[in-house]
Amino acid sequence: MSAQETNGSLQLPKMQSETPDYNDAYDAIIVGAGLAGTAAALTMAREGLDVLMLERGPAPGTKNVFGGVLYTPTIRELVDVDSAPTERYIAEKRFSMLTSDGDETAVSMRPGAWRDEPHNDSYTVLRRRFDEWFAKQAVETGATLITETTVTGLVRDGRKIVGVKTDRPDGEIRAPVVVLAEGANSLVSEGEGLKDRQEREAVAVSVKEVFKLDRETIDDRFRLDGDAGAAYNYFGEGAVGDAVGGGFVYTNKRSVSVGVAYRIEDAANGQTPEATLDAFESHPAVAPLIRGGRRIEYSAHVIPEGGAKAMPDLVHDGAVVVGDAAGLVLNSGVHLEGTNMAVESGYHAGKAIASALADGRSDEAALAAYPRDLKDSFVVENLRHYDWFQQTIADDRKFLFEDLPRALADAETEYFKMDRTAKDEHTDAARDRLLDAAGGWYGAAKRAWRYRRMLS
Amino acid sequence: MSTAQPHVPDVSIEDRLYTVKYRDAGESHLGVKDPDICVECTSNECTQVCPAAVWTVEEDSDGVPSIAYENCLECGTCRFGCPHDNVRWEYPKTGGGVVFKQG
Ligand SMILES: Cc1cc2nc3c(=O)[nH]c(=O)nc-3n(C[C@H](O)[C@H](O)[C@H](O)COP(=O)(O)OP(=O)(O)OC[C@H]3O[C@@H](n4cnc5c(N)ncnc54)[C@H](O)[C@@H]3O)c2cc1C
Ligand code: SF4
Ligand code: SF4
Repeated sequence: MSAQETNGSLQLPKMQSETPDYNDAYDAIIVGAGLAGTAAALTMAREGLDVLMLERGPAPGTKNVFGGVLYTPTIRELVDVDSAPTERYIAEKRFSMLTSDGDETAVSMRPGAWRDEPHNDSYTVLRRRFDEWFAKQAVETGATLITETTVTGLVRDGRKIVGVKTDRPDGEIRAPVVVLAEGANSLVSEGEGLKDRQEREAVAVSVKEVFKLDRETIDDRFRLDGDAGAAYNYFGEGAVGDAVGGGFVYTNKRSVSVGVAYRIEDAANGQTPEATLDAFESHPAVAPLIRGGRRIEYSAHVIPEGGAKAMPDLVHDGAVVVGDAAGLVLNSGVHLEGTNMAVESGYHAGKAIASALADGRSDEAALAAYPRDLKDSFVVENLRHYDWFQQTIADDRKFLFEDLPRALADAETEYFKMDRTAKDEHTDAARDRLLDAAGGWYGAAKRAWRYRRMLS
Repeated sequence: MSTAQPHVPDVSIEDRLYTVKYRDAGESHLGVKDPDICVECTSNECTQVCPAAVWTVEEDSDGVPSIAYENCLECGTCRFGCPHDNVRWEYPKTGGGVVFKQG
């Protein structure tokens, strides 16, 4: 089977209702044509393997939602990123503290180096366009993609996983290795006992809206030109109310993506996703950025936040787990990264499978290079490094999300206050205000110690 | 501190869901595993966490939620949100369900 190009659009082969016999026609079956699955498919196809990607949506990307910034260092190894449908490169990152009273305190950075190729390997993309393009690159490299096909379970021979069950008639397909790249809602991995369902404290809900605006309006409002784009991240009560999480605003070419992400635990305790999004979009720091924009899509998705501790076994006899299915997302407050980790894990898994199959093996020991390489990569390294973070900020929620943003706003109001008092007095009052919030010099020192790892 | 009134967006959940494209799978991919657990459950977190107003527990009902599965964004939140792990969650059949155009 091969993909054909007709009228410029890609015609992908669809399974007939009478499923032909694909058993052992492929070296590996990949569940899910998202970022992790496609990276694995590309890696294996480049090694000369015959791989089959199964995607439940009508096309790759139709079921996928993310905030907005795709990190491309590993993707660049696999494909020509310059021809990818990216929106804008990230020229500015901004971190804002918002209070519920409408205050904003922001730190913004625009390193000149980001203007030069490859732009710090960070681009806004729309998943619908990007994922379809990425999967097409895998197909052009020799992988087979079948859409509208949901994997419903695994086929086993004793302990060994030897294929997948699908929702197609006679939809069992056998292959020596199965790659579980099904994302955060990993129904197959959970159903087959390869991982536990996460507790809700370790999973975030995110809701997002895309607002259509013309290019010039976006360029003016965000002070951009050419293909430059901005990634704004927001913290504090004004961003997500009484919850642990944050808000974001990312610029696309002709639209702006706006959303919030916070613990499902907090939503269950009464703060609904819709109301949280409404409050964020109405904040005086955010509302002017999207004013007059037409809502073109509302979406939502869960994000695994369990970190290294929640990572399931990555390798089994005849199967590997990659990307969000393996919980590979870093949410450190300052960093929200999952796309690079998904691609990196797919890449290492693909390499390990190719070398195991070259020895005629697919058992757990033969595939062990995958978890080993991943542990040596930035993926597990970063997850471990920030493992303390989620719990610490949850414990310190009131200080970080309510007291600190308010104290900052009060201190800056005080510091810059225009009246007939000497500057010295304002400076003292501003410092006192901050120290008060931090619990005095002792409290501030304790907190500085607690968060030192952010920078180390 | 500011006294500026935040502007509340003039948008309903219906307006929002109107921007979403779906292919009807014809049957619900969502349900509850054991209705008796819902009858006992008083917190109804499923109705709180869902961003698409799929789950509602009517005042005069026995406490088992009604499920407007056609609006489901397939985000997965209710799967984790129910404290009793009582949500039955499958993927819609034959590629049905939500079709994002942006993502
Ligand atoms: C709201 C939000 C904001 C985010 N923001 C960012 C960000 O700005 N930057 C960043 O780097 N990361 C971000 N992330 C994280 C990032 O999106 C994920 O880490 C990444 O998409 C994971 O890729 P994946 O391939 O593992 O899973 P996915 O991209 O979810 O792909 C899984 C694929 O498998 C398919 N599938 C699932 N089950 C089956 C089945 N049984 N049969 C067939 N097909 C199946 C799905 O349809 C889908 O195509 C964000 C996530 C969310 C939800
Ligand atoms: S689904 Fe869960 S949260 Fe909802 S009513 Fe039933 S038991 Fe309660
Ligand atoms: S998956 Fe998401 S949108 Fe669908 S019912 Fe559950 S919470 Fe609601």
